Amino acid sequence: MSSATSDWVTPPTRPELIENLVSGVDRYNPSNVGILEDYLYHQIRSREYDCLANLAILKLYQFNHDLYNPDVIVNILVKALTSVPFPDFNLSIALLDERVSTANLDEPDPLPTLLPHLTSLHSLLQQCRFPAFWVFYRSDELESLRDNYTVEVVGFEDAIRDVAVRAVKATFQRIGSKRLSSYLDLEGPELEEYVAKLGWKFDASTGVIELPPNPDNQITSTIVQEDIKLPQLSKVISHAISAA
Amino acid sequence: MSQPRMGLWATEEIDEELQDVDVNLAIGNYGQNGMYDEAQSRLAEATLVAVQQQMAQQAAFSQIPDVVKRFLVHFHQAVLDNNLAEITVAYESGWNRLTEKYYAKTEWPEAEVIAPLVNDDQLFLILYRELYYRHVYSRLQPDIDDRFHSYENSCELFNYLLNSDGPVPLELPEQWLWDIVDEFIYQFQSFCVWRSKVKAKSDEELAMLADGGQVWSAYSVLNVLYSLIQKSKINDYILAHQEGRSEAELAEIAGEYGARPLYRMLGYFSLIGLLRVHVLLGDFTLALKVMDGVELNQKTPFTRVTACHVATYYYVGFCYIMLRRYPDAIRSFVSVLNFILRMRQYHTRSYQYDQINKTADRMYALFAICNALSPSRLDDNIANIVKDRYGDQFAKMSRGEEGIPAFEELFLYACPKFINANPPPYEDADQLAVYAEEVPGEPAQRHLGLFLSDVRAQAAVPTLRSFLKLYTSLDATKLAGFLDADEEEMVQQMMAVKAASRSVSRVGSEKSLLGGQMISTSDMDFVIKENMVHISESTVGRRFAGWFIRNTEHAQRVLDGVKNSPLPPVLQAPPQSGAPAESEGKPVQPPKKVAWASKASA
Repeated sequence: MSSATSDWVTPPTRPELIENLVSGVDRYNPSNVGILEDYLYHQIRSREYDCLANLAILKLYQFNHDLYNPDVIVNILVKALTSVPFPDFNLSIALLDERVSTANLDEPDPLPTLLPHLTSLHSLLQQCRFPAFWVFYRSDELESLRDNYTVEVVGFEDAIRDVAVRAVKATFQRIGSKRLSSYLDLEGPELEEYVAKLGWKFDASTGVIELPPNPDNQITSTIVQEDIKLPQLSKVISHAISAA
Repeated sequence: MSQPRMGLWATEEIDEELQDVDVNLAIGNYGQNGMYDEAQSRLAEATLVAVQQQMAQQAAFSQIPDVVKRFLVHFHQAVLDNNLAEITVAYESGWNRLTEKYYAKTEWPEAEVIAPLVNDDQLFLILYRELYYRHVYSRLQPDIDDRFHSYENSCELFNYLLNSDGPVPLELPEQWLWDIVDEFIYQFQSFCVWRSKVKAKSDEELAMLADGGQVWSAYSVLNVLYSLIQKSKINDYILAHQEGRSEAELAEIAGEYGARPLYRMLGYFSLIGLLRVHVLLGDFTLALKVMDGVELNQKTPFTRVTACHVATYYYVGFCYIMLRRYPDAIRSFVSVLNFILRMRQYHTRSYQYDQINKTADRMYALFAICNALSPSRLDDNIANIVKDRYGDQFAKMSRGEEGIPAFEELFLYACPKFINANPPPYEDADQLAVYAEEVPGEPAQRHLGLFLSDVRAQAAVPTLRSFLKLYTSLDATKLAGFLDADEEEMVQQMMAVKAASRSVSRVGSEKSLLGGQMISTSDMDFVIKENMVHISESTVGRRFAGWFIRNTEHAQRVLDGVKNSPLPPVLQAPPQSGAPAESEGKPVQPPKKVAWASKASA
């Protein structure tokens, strides 16, 4: 079984230049921030995601307040939303120091307004409250987030649907289409198309969708017996030998 | 061997001798005779200051107890000789004994004052200041001068080590090397916390902070740690060591610096130091990433310094909590807590014992947190101790939402002392005033908030689990009825329950600390078919082996003890000369006579 985190630690799409930055001491060099920011915008355009490289940007911001760029931070957080249930969103917030300098910004800083919204979106996803997520995401309150940020993130809504799909896959063997529709915010033919793409079976007569088996939606009762390994007994045995 | 020398300052003999020293004899003559005024008029101002300084130093010098002077002379000689055994005795025993006796509430004499005793040896004076400031930080209140000077001194020390012509021929005990790195980071952290409190700073302090520049900046601290790591090529060395290379190959790979124990150990300790600094700054992935090469087990040569070993596991475990990898965190804590339990008997007299115990107690608290979020039966022994110490909180934490205050209490008690990477705007008085109006929250509160959001996300889990455990299958509508909840919301909560029972964890084959596979962490599992919940439970048979093994080992020890004890004394028989040869764990009383101080104990 391949490691569940290897793609997260080193995404296959990460260029060598970025890899060297992320893994070396050059990541502390403020003059490299542009390279990492460009890479972030590349991720946004091409449905890629590289959490560690984005954290490296936040690290540079943490140490060099003059680099602070709220648009970049919002984009990093938007991308991090799509990785739930992994902790990327909170890991990013952890690097945002409280003090935010507004001195050299031409426009008002959007982050103080957007941060609570993003945090609410994140906690809805974390609690698997997907219908509530869509309602809030589409609300008037979040218009500026949608119009200025998520619209630029190619495939953002599909990436959120992937979050829901991951949760559904682990929990259900069969799920009603109405329920799934509320999780994915898709209806009718759109939903059917999406389900088909996932390789799930849609039974039009009952309106129930059947999910293929995976390690998380198969349950078995087992009895775990205690295993005693030889090293546990090494002291007892070696003592017996030395005493003989 | 030099063991016998431990005696002098490790014993009580010095008391008597102390009374012989009349500290008043030497002071008082300076500056009080009739010539003073006349002399003053002829002296230039600068010279006068210099003379006064010298006189003050002489006065201070004369106040140093003779036993301390002799200790320093001897200590200096041991460092000159690179005599590790004697340095260790002076460092671990002598320094602390004399601190207790003479400097429990005051500073040690300043380095300038004792300089004549050590021939003005600059290196020794740097090492001396290292100890001097560490004592100020741990026993007294460091003022701003202490903070700035201790930083300068650390820089001088690292500069000497890193920027001399080639590796320096110095040797120091491993414990001391760890303490140097550990203290460096502690002072950095302490400075950041002190600096962040804008109010209650005097004008002088504000001025100094305004042009403090790089003093204790995060960049300068990271720079030192990375330099030590690179200079010593420690990562290459560790890798080669894991590959089982020969000594000669290892020396070749480590290079001229890394081949020397001093640099190798400093390099390794700097890795652990980086782990810690990154955690303090809230960068939990980077913290684990710098540890990529390090194998966490108790067989590496680096576990000899217990304090380092304990710190490593504490910070690694904490990172795992923030990465929501509770099983890995639990494993980390269990491993080192068992280690501490076993080591306890050897460490009671060590001056770091208190510190280790405090860290251990924090880890018990973190273990309780993790176990509430991801129940496991990894180690009954540790779990029982946790129940003893944090039973109340644990019970509350296992009840979901209402346990939040308990999570909060334990987290704040047990978390690292987080810092902000940057100072308040001391360089700009206007901005500083704005800042002081609205002081931002402490970094610990920010991390607490993030942690609690993780806790809240699975707040419904304990209740749902307790219901599910009662059934093998159950209709969702019925379950929602039991809970008096909306059916759709309840079904969504079920997905959260499922998510809470899965975690990324290092199963064994992963080398890197960030690596891992998705595992199931709960013995209860379920799946939903349309609207019907099917539940299955894995039962774990009772574990007997650990208990039997522990008690067998104990019985063996008792039997050995009985076999080895002397026969009961026969009445009026002469004492047995062949008393048991070994007396495990208890050091043999050292002979008290010391060559270079024979007149003192005569």
